[in-house]
Amino acid sequence: MKKKSWILYSIAVTAVAVVVVTAYSQENVKYVQDSAFKTKMRPGAVFLHDEHNEKAEIDDCGTCHHLYKDGVKIEDETSEDMECSECHKINGNPVPLVAKYHLRCKGCHEEKKAGPVMCSECHVK
Amino acid sequence: MHDIYNFVSGTLVWVSFILFTGGCVYRFVSMAALAKKKDPVIYEYMSLRYALRSIFHWIIPFGSENMKMHPVFTIVTFAFHICLIFVPLFLFAHIILIKESWNISWWFLSDSIADVMTLIVVGSCIYFLVRRITQPEVKFLTSISDYLILAVVAAPFITGFWTYHQFPGHKFVGIIHILSGEIMLVAIPFTRLSHMIFFAFTRGYMGSEFGAIRHAKDW
Repeated sequence: MKKKSWILYSIAVTAVAVVVVTAYSQENVKYVQDSAFKTKMRPGAVFLHDEHNEKAEIDDCGTCHHLYKDGVKIEDETSEDMECSECHKINGNPVPLVAKYHLRCKGCHEEKKAGPVMCSECHVK
Repeated sequence: MHDIYNFVSGTLVWVSFILFTGGCVYRFVSMAALAKKKDPVIYEYMSLRYALRSIFHWIIPFGSENMKMHPVFTIVTFAFHICLIFVPLFLFAHIILIKESWNISWWFLSDSIADVMTLIVVGSCIYFLVRRITQPEVKFLTSISDYLILAVVAAPFITGFWTYHQFPGHKFVGIIHILSGEIMLVAIPFTRLSHMIFFAFTRGYMGSEFGAIRHAKDW
């Protein structure tokens, strides 16, 4: 009996831990993720959302989470609730979407001469 | 880091491609002019039919008697050349860089296959090195430049493997990787690597002479 309750207790603790960790990681993004990438060639790019934006002094969500209509950026609207691939469709070929991500991250880093630019600096094993 | 990266992945890429294409055109034109002056007979004997017949036999594994006599060397050299050309042209990371720069892309290899192919290139280079040191008939024809060329060819693959697997110092090695690729590209027209541009013509001439004049096979 004692043994059984110990097992139950362990399961409960694990379940709580999983829920807390999952919830936390959704709150504070650690990797660039997109469900459209089915098979991953490299580890996801390390990206600490809040820390990055504080350091880079980005206040406008639309800098990354932009929204376009007929090729024109809608200034007051943003797209945090969407995945990039919802607009930048993959259609069986990941290359265009990967390039979009790279241009968004690496493009800005090159422009500002700050932040990582080489493959292994973001895709850390 | 940004300045060095931008220099080697921007300016130097242009410089190396210009030297590579310009060098190939220059070597080709000057070789054609030299042949016209010293060996005008080449132009007389060159035959498209016999040239293609010979090239065909020599680009098929075990298509020539010589290849049948050296089976290990034949397998290594074919595997080496296929991997050497396919990996840089169809590597996913390279495709992405080209897509970012020029918005064009093409078919790519999976990283795990490219990884194995990279090891085949490096392993083949080691085989060629050992062959140069141990085989008397090859050693006799070997000079320092042959070892240097082997190093120039192996370097982009060793450094590429190193950065991909993120072994210690991978950021620095990544820069060396780009640089070594550029050095190899520039070396193609100006070293023995120029067989890339001349192979079809040297083989084609042999085929022409053996086919049309001696009425014999040259494979």
